[in-house]
Amino acid sequence: MESQLNFNIENSFDSRYSFCARQELDELPYSFTITDPTICGHPIVFASKGFLKVFGYSKDEVVGKNGRVFQGPKTDRKSVMEIREAIREERSMQINLLNYRKDGTPFWMLFHLSPVFSKEDGRVIHFVGVQVPISPPRRPRWSASGVVRNGANMCEEGDRVCGNTNIMFGSCRREVCSDTPVELSRVLGLLASESVLDDSSRERHSLPGAGILSSALNISLGRIKQSFVLTDPHLPDMPIVYASDAFLRLTGYAKDEVLERNCRFLSGADTDFSTLYQIKESIQTEQACTVRILNYRKDKSSFWNYLHISPVRNASGKVAYFVGVQIEEGCKNQDRNGLCPEMRHRSVVGAVKVAVRSLSMGAGPSRS
Amino acid sequence: MVTVKQVEDDNLVSKGAIPEQLKCPQFCFQDIRIPLYRFSSQSLLDDSPFEGHVCITEDEQSALDSLLLALWEDKMWKGVLRYDVTTSEIKVIFGKRKFIAQLNERLGMDYVPKPEPDKICGQGNLSEFQWTKHQEEFLFYVACGEMAISELIPSAAMPDGALLIIINEIPVEYGHVFLVPCGSDSLAQVLDTKSLEMVARFAVEINNCSFRLFYDCPTAGTSHRYFEACYFPSPLPVELTPVDTFFHEGQRGMRISAVTDFPIKTLLFESNKKFKRMVEVLVEICCQLQEKSIPYNLLISDSGKKIFLFLQMQNMANSGTLSAWECGGYFLFQSRSEFDQATEETMLNKLRDVSLDDEGFQVVKELCCSIADKFVA
Repeated sequence: MESQLNFNIENSFDSRYSFCARQELDELPYSFTITDPTICGHPIVFASKGFLKVFGYSKDEVVGKNGRVFQGPKTDRKSVMEIREAIREERSMQINLLNYRKDGTPFWMLFHLSPVFSKEDGRVIHFVGVQVPISPPRRPRWSASGVVRNGANMCEEGDRVCGNTNIMFGSCRREVCSDTPVELSRVLGLLASESVLDDSSRERHSLPGAGILSSALNISLGRIKQSFVLTDPHLPDMPIVYASDAFLRLTGYAKDEVLERNCRFLSGADTDFSTLYQIKESIQTEQACTVRILNYRKDKSSFWNYLHISPVRNASGKVAYFVGVQIEEGCKNQDRNGLCPEMRHRSVVGAVKVAVRSLSMGAGPSRS
Repeated sequence: MVTVKQVEDDNLVSKGAIPEQLKCPQFCFQDIRIPLYRFSSQSLLDDSPFEGHVCITEDEQSALDSLLLALWEDKMWKGVLRYDVTTSEIKVIFGKRKFIAQLNERLGMDYVPKPEPDKICGQGNLSEFQWTKHQEEFLFYVACGEMAISELIPSAAMPDGALLIIINEIPVEYGHVFLVPCGSDSLAQVLDTKSLEMVARFAVEINNCSFRLFYDCPTAGTSHRYFEACYFPSPLPVELTPVDTFFHEGQRGMRISAVTDFPIKTLLFESNKKFKRMVEVLVEICCQLQEKSIPYNLLISDSGKKIFLFLQMQNMANSGTLSAWECGGYFLFQSRSEFDQATEETMLNKLRDVSLDDEGFQVVKELCCSIADKFVA
């Protein structure tokens, strides 16, 4: 498990960008990080030399960690929440944030976040975070409208990237604002050859039509440590659109071997037809069901799968996905939480339902 | 004697779903054996840093979160709930506030008022019948523990000073439960430190940013106090609104802020350290509000790190008019037409209409400072 995760992290950058891109990024003096929201825990997969210098860490101490490890007791919770929201909504944002170095000393920085979209399917493949140390901002009393107005007057370029009204500006905003876009655009420019950067120009497939999961959903689902898959009934042949790491360990497959395939590859010679039929019936009637089914791993060995399948609805109230939760019978399933198998099924279903509930929550008049 | 007329409002139907067992003394619970979750012995002591609490990582679902979701989903599976709340459409109302609206046509339809129970519980067969009937709604107990880590006991009788977690069969959102403090003083009408502390601890251990806890101050006619909680799919508008801090005790101490430019007057309480003391301050403030007949609601969010206090218009009948999630910016609609026509303006007006006025707000802010000063000194 550890090695698979490490492999994913190491591979995250190199599978997307050329070696030249890595070299050029290594030469930039700025402090920035690249994170991968599709990997459980949303870890850092690249940290610039500038970043390591500013924060006082070595590369190995940083790669694989989530950005929150640089936060501390005085970090404003609301700012953290706003960053989380921007990640969820897959948009750029900029905010003053208090971070901590390795030696524990806090410092203020202007943090700029920007998503990187894949040219192929428009989904978010990475986030770029740029950190610009600043002197401590005066705590202003401000209203949302006031800030935006000032922002537009002071710095036009900044206004383009600083469109978010929920921003606190420091005392030295003027010089900071003119630098940050340059830094970010240099970084993003280097990644540009293999990806799309501008929000407005990408062709976004709308969920659930193309089976692409948002970063937010990926991150939420990554917190669930049991074996489960998410399948999309709106796509032809109802393929798997998400598979937990535990599922991959259980079945012996790699992620790209299961995504976009129907679950039937888990069935084999001795799998009972009537069980398969029961599953199919339940799905068609949008009901939940629990069955015992004989499944096969990649290495052809079989196991009894105590399987629970349930429809999962999104904000529209309609079924968006089905979740399938697998428990291998007979194996010493150490459940840390002390729950029996049925309850483990339920806890996964509940967590997935909470995660999916916010999807496709449109604004304005409802679309039925 | 002032008679209280309950304000009829479509959006408040869910408030009627107070299970009648809550009106009965706690000794009726002794025979009910359900799972018991015990907190670890490391409590929110004065000197321990809030964020360094018991190995809870954000990368993983916590044990308490798994337990609650499992039991809730199980009750859903077994048909205890009147309807599947995930079939109710939700949307963000267009505007800068991002109010959230839910279309829930079943809330009014399926609601059949439960018969008023006999006032004195424990009178032989009648109460037993009622307990048996409603026992399926009981999920688990939560209590303090003595072990180094939290533990889950599959089946236990109610320990003293426990919270009883009961499912709300007409949920507002997924995971909607009542948290009922059961102790020897459970009949008290006022909010007390121990209950609020336990409930906040609950939020901390759930460690899920979707999970919010609510408290509506007791209105005339209710004889029991309880909290509610559920999982909201996205941030509530009040959580996204900037604040203006007016009381700040040193670096990691208590911080009291006013939420600026929000249609209902709201205060925010935060504390990195000395969490227990902040709870004491808040409880004292709430008691005073009750004495002054100022209705209030509490919203605990961000896994226990933030407590919002909503302040409503002073009224002598002391009847609260909005529930805490409405104050936070989440509204329910019972008809499709109302849902489709909801605008940010109507929501703003709804909140403004019940809000405490500027003068009253100033008085409350000063009250907070004086009470906080007293505890900090």
